[in-house]
Amino acid sequence: MSVAAVKNALPESFVPEPADVLPAQGAWLEERRARAMQVFQAGGIPHRRVEEWKYSDLRNALEAERGGTNEVVVLPSRDPFATIAGPRLVLRDGSFDTPRVRVPDNVEVRDLATLGDDAPDWIGRSLGCVLSNGMGQASLAFMRGGAAVRIGRGTEVTIHLRFLQQIEISHARVLIVVEEGASLLLLESHARMRGVMNLGLEILLQPNARVTHVRLADAAPEAVLVEEIGVTAARDAHYRAHLPQAGARLSRLELRTKLEGAGAEAALDGAGVLCGRLHADVTTHVEHVAGKTASRQLFKYIAGGHSRAVYQGRISVHKGADGSDSRQTAKAILTGERAEADLKPELEILADDVKCAHGAAVGDLDRDSLFYLRARGIPEAEARELLLRAFLEEAVAEITNENIRSIVWNFVENYLPKALDEVT
Amino acid sequence: MNLLEIENLHVSAQGKEILKGLSLVVREGEVHAIMGPNGSGKSTLSYTLAGREGYEITAGHIIYRGEDLTLLAPEERAAKGMFLALQYPVEIPGVTTMNFLKAALNAQRRARGEKELDAISVLRLVRETAASLNIPEDMLRRALNVGFSGGEKKRLEILQMALFKPVLAILDETDSGLDIDALKLVADGVNRLRAPQRAMLVITHYQRLLNYIVPDRVHVMAQGRIVAEGGRELAHELEAKGYAGFVKDAA
Repeated sequence: MSVAAVKNALPESFVPEPADVLPAQGAWLEERRARAMQVFQAGGIPHRRVEEWKYSDLRNALEAERGGTNEVVVLPSRDPFATIAGPRLVLRDGSFDTPRVRVPDNVEVRDLATLGDDAPDWIGRSLGCVLSNGMGQASLAFMRGGAAVRIGRGTEVTIHLRFLQQIEISHARVLIVVEEGASLLLLESHARMRGVMNLGLEILLQPNARVTHVRLADAAPEAVLVEEIGVTAARDAHYRAHLPQAGARLSRLELRTKLEGAGAEAALDGAGVLCGRLHADVTTHVEHVAGKTASRQLFKYIAGGHSRAVYQGRISVHKGADGSDSRQTAKAILTGERAEADLKPELEILADDVKCAHGAAVGDLDRDSLFYLRARGIPEAEARELLLRAFLEEAVAEITNENIRSIVWNFVENYLPKALDEVT
Repeated sequence: MNLLEIENLHVSAQGKEILKGLSLVVREGEVHAIMGPNGSGKSTLSYTLAGREGYEITAGHIIYRGEDLTLLAPEERAAKGMFLALQYPVEIPGVTTMNFLKAALNAQRRARGEKELDAISVLRLVRETAASLNIPEDMLRRALNVGFSGGEKKRLEILQMALFKPVLAILDETDSGLDIDALKLVADGVNRLRAPQRAMLVITHYQRLLNYIVPDRVHVMAQGRIVAEGGRELAHELEAKGYAGFVKDAA
C-alpha cells in the first residue's frame, strides 16, 4: 500500500508528504517496508486505550493544535558532544547528510537511501529485523532515510549520531552492527527539534561486543518525539545506555533489549527533569532470553509544573533463562502541585533460580534530610536544591567516562531551575 | 548573662502534648545535662529548640540571646550559633561530606554578613579540624553519613560543632549506640570544645556520658517537665536510685 493511500486514514501530522518518503530501493527492502506498513496499519497510531501507551496518548498529541506556542526564544542547539572526537553522522530531517564522513578502518557507514539490490549482507540480514512494534514499523515504512553502521571485529570507536530537523514530520531509521569484540561509544544528540519525529534505532551486539549509548534529546515544548530502540546482545555482550529526559509535548523512548547469550548484560539509566506541560515516557522491555544474563535499570525524575513523567519497565525472564539477575528502580519527586508521575514496573518470570529486584516510588523530599541541612544553616530553598541534585545525580553516577558524565550532568542540570521555579 | 531562657514551655506533636510546662535557664559558657527516661520529652525539647516542623508551642516562651527563638527558621537559629547534634545523624546519598560542610559553613557566614570562604580555605580548615579529631580524609569524600559507623557519624557531628563554633551546642543522646572507646573519643572532642563563650546542653538517658563530659548543672526530666535539679552529684544519685523515684515525685 502506498503512502498516498494511507494518508487519509491517519493524522496529517504523522504521515509525511510522499516526496518526504524514501522512494523504492532494492526489492528486499521494499518487501520489508511493505510488510512493516501492514503491521503498522493493523494497529494504527497508538493512543491511551492501548495499554502500553496509556500515559502517552500519541494520537491525541498528533491531532492537537500545535505550533501555537508563543515561545520566541529558541535556545541555540549546540552539539553537547562537540568537544569529543569521532566521526559525526548527521541525519537532517531524517536523511543521512554526511556521505563523505571519514571513518576509521574497519568501520563502515552506509546511507539507507542508496541501497540497491546488492546491499551488503550485514544490512540485509538485520535492517528491520530487531524492531517489531507498531511505531518501529512505521519508521521503516515511512522512512525518509537513515544510516547503517558496522563496527568491525575488535574495533574500538566513538561515533556521533546527530539529528537535526526543520521540516514538520520525519521518520528515520538507523542500524548499528557491532561485531565480535568491538567496542562502541555512541553519542546520540538531537538538536532542539520541533514538529514530529519518529525514529527507529536497531543495535546488534555480537559476542563480547560493548556499546555505551548516551542520548541527549532536546526538543521544543510543542515537539512530538518518538524513538524506538531495539537491542540484541549475544554472548558476553554488554549494552549500557544513559538516557536523560528533558521532555517534549510528547516524548516517548521505548527500548527493547534482548539478552540472547549467556553473559550478556544491559544497564540502563536516566535522570529526567520536567517542567511546564512537558511529558517524558521511558518504556523499557528487557528480555532475559538466555540464562546467566544480567540487567539493571535506574530512572529518576523530578517533575515540576503540570508535567508528566512516565516509566514503564517490563522484565521478562524466559523459560530456561536460569541464573539471570535483574534489578530495576524508578523514582520520581513531584515538585509541581499539578505534576504527575506514572511508574509501572512489571515482572514476567518463567524461569527458576533467578534474581529479580524492583522498586518504584513517587514522593517528596525526605523530611529528615531537609531538617538536617537546615539545622546546619543551609536555607530551605538551597537545601531542597541540594537534595534534588543529589537525587538526580545517582542516575548519572554510573557513567564511567568523566567527561561524558559531566556533559550529561550539564544537560540535566540545565533544566533544573525551571522545574524548581514552579514549586508552589 | 542568660543565653537561653525557657519558661513554662508546652509543646505538642501530632496532637499530643509532650512538654508540659518546662522551664530552664542556661547561662553563657555553662554545661547543663538533661537526663530523663525514654518518653520524658528529651528529643522533643531538642527538636523544638532547633526549630523542627511539627512541634507546636502551645504555651510559654523561649528566649535565646535576648530574642524570641520561636520566630526564627532552623537555618537562622544555626546562623545565630545554635547547633543540634542529632541522636541519629541523617544519611544523605549524593551529597559529599565536604560539599555539605562547605555549603553549611558558607550559608552561616552569609547569614551573619561575613565573607564566604573559597573552596581552598574551606578544604584547609576542614582538613585541619578533621585531623585534630582523628577523622580520616576519606570520610570527607564519601556521601554524608552514608555507610558511616555509629561512631563515625557522631565524630562527624563533633567535627561540625568544631567548624561552626556554636554559642549553644545541644547534644541529643550523643552517647547512644556508641561503645566505650567511641564514647571516649566523642567526649574528648566535646571537652576540647568547651569554652567560656560556649554553652552546652547535654541530653542523655545514661549517667555514663557524664563521667566524661562533666556538667555544671544536672536537670532531671520526666513527663515533659524538669522534676529535679542539682549539681553534678545529682547524676550519681540518679545512677544509684534510678529514674523511678523522680518520676513518682513528678506524678
